[in-house]
Amino acid sequence: MKQRLTEIRMQGARPFPPRVSGFTLPFWRGLDEGRLLSTRCKACGQKSFPPRNLCRACWSTSLEWVDLNITGRLYSFTRIHVAPQAFRSDAPYAIGMIDLEQGPRLMCRLIGEIRPEHMGASMKMLVLRYDDGPLFGASLDIPQNQAVSQTP
Amino acid sequence: MKSAAILGYAAVPIGSYQRRTGDDAVLEHELASSVVREAMTMAGLAKEDIEGVVVAHPGDHTRQGYFHTFLTAYLGIRARASVIQVLGNGMTGGHCFDQAILQVASGQALCTLAVGAHFETAIPTSAHLDYSIRLTGDVDFQSIFGAVPIAWYAMDAQRYLYEFGVSRATLASIALKNREHAMRNPLAQYRSALSLEDVLNARPIVEPLGLYEVPGRADGAAALVIVNEDLARASGRPYVLVRSRGFEHEGQHQLSDQGGSALDYNTLRQASHRALLDAKLSLQDMGTFQLYAPCTVVEALASEALGLFAPGRGADAARAGTTRFDGPSPINTCGGCLSRGHPPEVSPLYDVIEACTQLLGCAAERQVSRHEFALTASELGKYNAALVHVLQAMQ
Repeated sequence: MKQRLTEIRMQGARPFPPRVSGFTLPFWRGLDEGRLLSTRCKACGQKSFPPRNLCRACWSTSLEWVDLNITGRLYSFTRIHVAPQAFRSDAPYAIGMIDLEQGPRLMCRLIGEIRPEHMGASMKMLVLRYDDGPLFGASLDIPQNQAVSQTP
Repeated sequence: MKSAAILGYAAVPIGSYQRRTGDDAVLEHELASSVVREAMTMAGLAKEDIEGVVVAHPGDHTRQGYFHTFLTAYLGIRARASVIQVLGNGMTGGHCFDQAILQVASGQALCTLAVGAHFETAIPTSAHLDYSIRLTGDVDFQSIFGAVPIAWYAMDAQRYLYEFGVSRATLASIALKNREHAMRNPLAQYRSALSLEDVLNARPIVEPLGLYEVPGRADGAAALVIVNEDLARASGRPYVLVRSRGFEHEGQHQLSDQGGSALDYNTLRQASHRALLDAKLSLQDMGTFQLYAPCTVVEALASEALGLFAPGRGADAARAGTTRFDGPSPINTCGGCLSRGHPPEVSPLYDVIEACTQLLGCAAERQVSRHEFALTASELGKYNAALVHVLQAMQ
């Protein structure tokens, strides 16, 4: 059993909520339960993110849901100051690319202060709990006695 | 396949047309029709000579729908080859040019227009971004975080600074070089002098990039007259021959979930390799490069992908003057997306026009010294695809 994601309480509803299909429902249900899931191809072993209903490497449709590692490295990031209308109350906000241990790479919201000297730093994935549902995010992987700011 | 040539071209100075009111107000088809007429006059052809029309999709902020058929009717053109509108993200203008070439090269038409008008400046930036976050990511797994299009380039910039130890000042020098070019270009949107301090101290937009390292909002209109080379030769006028083209899509949308370097714009390397091979020319033969580069870092990475500079050295080439109009490898002599201006759907048409202007020796105080061959490139996503053309002056 993989480690559960730490949960961060966010204010309000998700600014630009995702659509959920019958196929992606396990991902969002898993996230709601503190798990980071995606698909792995049973034919060639490639893990993907986001989850896919066919393997983009070999086009096999024989796939399984697997727990991803919830720690990784910060590949890059930016802080967005000029934001879409839906995100204006959040600006400036940070997003970044995370290379999960044993893959894959994904992009998500970053929580807490992220600076250029954190490039390559160890990160941990999070559940961002909004009023209307969860999103995933990441923060610096710091010891538990150093609380992560709940204000992104 | 037949050879295609550019016999005429025209564009309006890039600016804020959509915001104009009262007596100054102007509509997109009014601008587009004016540049078509000017380009056809340059070509010495009549509207009856036009057999095909390819229109760059004007984007979501243009009120007139089905702009291609509307514009064709507005111009009173009877076309027998095709009238189509093309869309390909930042490559829209590139596809427009490419499809017009294909109509001529295939023999469907002797003369085809490549034309576009892009209006957006009356739309508030935040509203525009609500739309554009749907374009450059997976709407259910990436756009949900508010990743605006230039945020993807900003992440490349952050990585570029980190991985190669490039300074902010060195990266910013690309913005300065492009502003120097734009100050010499009457079609450019931003023509006032800019200092390094201006760039470094500008308000942040998408860190680490500030105001002068990202494109401003812009409107524009441009047209090219593409003809069979026999027709161009018979005209007795100078023209630009389309020597070759190359295309590559890497099968990614913004981000590869399999990791690897995000800084390797390999599609441009592949597309340019194909185009140069087909033209039987080398990179060193090119006298100028017009590269679609909405942010400073994109120009650095594109120039490195082409093979002009080693990885991590593209920004320093701008600092050293290597990519100035009077340097050995001139890049974006028009001022590029940053200072020439960036009406996205038609920027690649402006790039081709700059290449033609240079090739025909008409670039005045920004004229490059070697102007027999030029290379143009447009892209989509984050150079997830690249479209390259090699052009040749025929005086």
